[in-house]
Amino acid sequence: MSGVIDKIKERLKDFRRPGYYKEFDHHYAIVIDVDRCNGCEACVVSCYAENNLPVVGEQGCEDNRVFNWLRIERYIEGEYPDVKVKFIPVMCQQCDAAPCEIGCPVYATYHNQDGLNVQVYNRCVGTFTCATYCPYDVRRFNWFSYKWDKPLDEQLNPDVTVREMGVMEKCTFCIQRIRGVNDKAKDGKRKVKDGEIQTACAQSCPTGAITFGDLMDPESKVSKLAASKRGYKLFENLETKPSVIYLKRVMD
Amino acid sequence: MILKKLVILAAVFFVAFVIGYGIDAALRTDLDPVQPIKFSHKIHAGTNEIPCQFCHIYAERSRVSGVPNVQRCMGCHKIIKTESPEIKKLTAYWDKREPIPWTKVHNLPDYVYFPHKRHIRAGRKCADCHGDIASMDRVRRVSSLQMGWCLQCHKKYDVKNGQACWTCHI
Amino acid sequence: MKRRDFLKYIGVGGAGVVLGGVFGKISRPPGAKLIPYLIPPEDIIPGVGAWYSSLCTQCPAGCGTVVKVMDGRAKKVEGNPLHPVNKGKLCARGQAGLQALYNPDRIKAPMKRKGTRGNGKPGEFEEISWERALKILSANIKDLSDKGEAEGVYLRTNTVRGHLDKLFGGFMESLGSPNYSQYELYDYRSLRFANKAAFAIDAIPHYDIANASMVLSFGADFNSTWISPVNYGYAYGEMRQGSGVRGRLVHVEPRMSLTGANADEWVPIRPGTEGIFALSIAYAILDAGLYSGKDVAKWKTALAGFSPSATARTTDVAAARTLKLAKEFAAAERPLAIGGEVVAGYDNGVSSLLAVNILNYLGGGTGAKGGIIPNPDELFFADGTQEMDFERGIAGFVKDAASSKVKVLMLHNTNPLFTTSPKLGLELALKKVPFICAMTSFMDETSAMADLILPLHTSFEEWGDDFTNPAVGAPVATLMQPVVSPVFNTRGAGDIFVALASAIGGKVAEDHHWMSYAEYLRAAWNDLYDKNAEISRGTLTFDGFWNKLLQEGGWWKKAVNPSGVKALSTTPKKVGKGLFAKPAKFAGKMSDYPLYLMLYPQAGHLDGRGANLPWLQELPDPITTVVWGSWVEINPVTAKQLGFKEGDKVRIESPYGSIKAFVFPYAGIRPDTVALPIGQGHKLYGRYAKGRGVNPIEIIPAVADKDSGAMALNCTRVKVEHSGGSGRLVKIEPTAKEHGKPTQHGRPIVQTITSREYKRLKKETT
Repeated sequence: MSGVIDKIKERLKDFRRPGYYKEFDHHYAIVIDVDRCNGCEACVVSCYAENNLPVVGEQGCEDNRVFNWLRIERYIEGEYPDVKVKFIPVMCQQCDAAPCEIGCPVYATYHNQDGLNVQVYNRCVGTFTCATYCPYDVRRFNWFSYKWDKPLDEQLNPDVTVREMGVMEKCTFCIQRIRGVNDKAKDGKRKVKDGEIQTACAQSCPTGAITFGDLMDPESKVSKLAASKRGYKLFENLETKPSVIYLKRVMD
Repeated sequence: MILKKLVILAAVFFVAFVIGYGIDAALRTDLDPVQPIKFSHKIHAGTNEIPCQFCHIYAERSRVSGVPNVQRCMGCHKIIKTESPEIKKLTAYWDKREPIPWTKVHNLPDYVYFPHKRHIRAGRKCADCHGDIASMDRVRRVSSLQMGWCLQCHKKYDVKNGQACWTCHI
Repeated sequence: MKRRDFLKYIGVGGAGVVLGGVFGKISRPPGAKLIPYLIPPEDIIPGVGAWYSSLCTQCPAGCGTVVKVMDGRAKKVEGNPLHPVNKGKLCARGQAGLQALYNPDRIKAPMKRKGTRGNGKPGEFEEISWERALKILSANIKDLSDKGEAEGVYLRTNTVRGHLDKLFGGFMESLGSPNYSQYELYDYRSLRFANKAAFAIDAIPHYDIANASMVLSFGADFNSTWISPVNYGYAYGEMRQGSGVRGRLVHVEPRMSLTGANADEWVPIRPGTEGIFALSIAYAILDAGLYSGKDVAKWKTALAGFSPSATARTTDVAAARTLKLAKEFAAAERPLAIGGEVVAGYDNGVSSLLAVNILNYLGGGTGAKGGIIPNPDELFFADGTQEMDFERGIAGFVKDAASSKVKVLMLHNTNPLFTTSPKLGLELALKKVPFICAMTSFMDETSAMADLILPLHTSFEEWGDDFTNPAVGAPVATLMQPVVSPVFNTRGAGDIFVALASAIGGKVAEDHHWMSYAEYLRAAWNDLYDKNAEISRGTLTFDGFWNKLLQEGGWWKKAVNPSGVKALSTTPKKVGKGLFAKPAKFAGKMSDYPLYLMLYPQAGHLDGRGANLPWLQELPDPITTVVWGSWVEINPVTAKQLGFKEGDKVRIESPYGSIKAFVFPYAGIRPDTVALPIGQGHKLYGRYAKGRGVNPIEIIPAVADKDSGAMALNCTRVKVEHSGGSGRLVKIEPTAKEHGKPTQHGRPIVQTITSREYKRLKKETT
């Protein structure tokens, strides 16, 4: 009997292994220094521009259908005059043990060899399971096929699919940029340098709060920042193993 | 009684509708659409042995291979075969300063990312996917362009990440 | 089966087949078209993005950008990593500039008015050709100049610098009209005036926030909208977590703005007493013997009345707190005090900002590192073209227009009707102007008053340059190049003026003989190159230099041994005598209007110019998270007293008018103050902005600072009462939750450590 249980445990361990691969090529991660972040939201608009996020209008916002893949959460604490306002950028945490991946009945969301949690739009049938399982509430659903008022559509990024009605979407860590840089490196027959890939949010962030990089490279900037003693992860207790590491804000 | 009759009528209509739809699908010519000018790859690539990338100049540099610009056509046809009726059509477009509205033969959906560049640089030949274009008067699509067709090749050559969804779908 | 039934079946069957076929045809899209280039543009590879350097014009900060262009369309704007102002970063407004380029509400061709003034409906204007439009405008100007009344020609623009500014100035000078001026709601005129008075710097210096170890901000919302937010944002990040010691930020403002929210300490001061507070800190520094200059005795006499205990009642800041701040400021290695737009927004703005400058001087905040670095600008202005005009504020213009001095008015990208109080009477004055020509990209409130509308290029379609002001302690020039071909039938302002000059003829045409603005720009840079060894250093020919300019996005110098401002151009006696002995005055009796009104620029919309961009409308306000509308911030205690809860529609009434907005109870505002954002409430300005929210400028008096003439925004009191009415407050609240609560296992989402713990950690790691 105990042998069977051990076997099951062994299997479960295998299942919990991030991404179900034996080896990874990369482990892309983002380190966000909350002490640097000033809540200016440059990253949010940058994300809208890069990833073809539709604008849903006032009614859409009220119905909670806004497409902010990346949002700045703000918390107002305390009472006048001892008020503290805190900001924190939250995007898809690209969890290693992602609840959404376990949930999806059609394998439209899965883990790739770069350690990213990928959403495959043409596979998604819109069951909403992933969004329900996600504790970070970063998944966004296309309730309609959104249209851009002409000629605003000329700005659409051809590297990113324009999603249609009935499809779930979320932050991709700008996977098109990762692919683009890899492509360039391959042409030059060289390796991708640290800092060469930048997500849209990291690139625009005025305060330099967001850093993107590969955790499997011990010399990379993110690896060094991630080792900071100020580091913490969101909902660490849920064992989702997020790839986004926050550095605590200094506040008295 | 009337109800029964209506149901039969509806059934007949439905069956006929499906048949009509099927006939249309069978007669469709999207494999080798008629083009605004009867451009013959057989003459250019076959008889005259012009290399593919002489005209499709971006194939090695970009995701798209690039359809030749009108100026490039005119580069030769200012002199060659200017009296042919099809070349006269070309000259008419050029004189009107209008591009030629070709119809796409190989059309991938928006959610597929297909770079020509990576395939050419990996040593694939144009004919691997497009067939023996050099023998076609009017270009005919020979590959299904279905995902299974892509994958059998990705499997055959053991492409790195070749079977991962995100490689082609983002 | 009956024959009749048979026929019926045949008929229905036949119809079915046909309809099925037709359905099949229309349900599948026809073969996509493959359209080749006629003649391929140079160095474009279809499907591959190219980056071009340019300039951001979404606000006057002057950040350098790089624009990703793919298949002839602009796809993304990023900061230019080489540019010294924004260092590769770009704010939300700058990113959204693309939506100005591809905005569906852009004016698509020149238009002539046929209906009534001020009514911006499409039917009121008819489209005309550029030739005809320029003919109408040049005829109007020529008419005046022939009669010798050229001074009746007025040109008002938003902030333009660089050679467009020189062209505008030169054009008006050749014409013989002195009436060229710039107008901007946030033009920092008071700050420049205060700097001139204190340090004899006729400009805004570079505030070296990055290297400061303590920043004392008096209502300077530098994290959000103040002067050069990207530059200061970068500096803020460096100040906090750069290589040096973690800098401390103290923010003094009646309302906790974004900068206040990021501060370590927030001082909710009584509105209008910031200058007094700054002087009482200065007093405390003198009193504690922390200032050791030769003039210490003089200062002590000058500031005698400003002891913390004496001013505590006025400023509502306890004397002990003032003393503590003073000690901290003087003891800091590199302290820096900055005075911002909130302080400038009272009728004692200049004197309060001057007080902040005095504090800097006495507290040691004027050093080169982490202090105030003056911007030398003689490089680009060897001909002395840049002069400050304190005289020609918007009020002066209204006076001129009302007395029919203005005959022809040219407006360039400016919307003063939206940003001035109706009490100023600008609308009435504009109605008296016989001919108005608006050069703009959008139909806004002011452009609707025009007789002729010339649609402008956006910064993505036009040549241009900018002598960034304020620069970064060293001169910066940024080049703007067209990165896409024009989307509509528009032209650049420079080209319009060059064409206008040749149409008017005479001296104007002689002085401006270029074929196009691009040619003028190149010639002007060639001139700079030839005359200035500093600019030409490192390149052999002008062509090489020009190519480098286009590639790198501009020319800038590294600051070599920058020096702070040491000398004080004012005297203690002068300061003590007069400027700021009194708190600001507010309109409305305390008993009728119990609450102070503070107006501030909304982060996404600035002075309202961003309201037509959908990305910015949908961008939640950083503090309230409100989207697509207006709100009023009220302290929860006050809201409870008045019986308001969140989302209630209330009327905000001042002695000058009333508006309605939704209540947002905010603990970060004084109980005796309410705050409203500027930016919404457009009557026109495109589908995204029109009829959305309210414009609080409508209820403020037309009060100007008596020294600088800048419009004072925060100088009225209001009362707030229930109003009822349609609409709602739409917010995008935080959503990361566990068991429905924004906590993780009992700990907050945003975790913090104390500064003591931080110091300990830092010691451990090094």
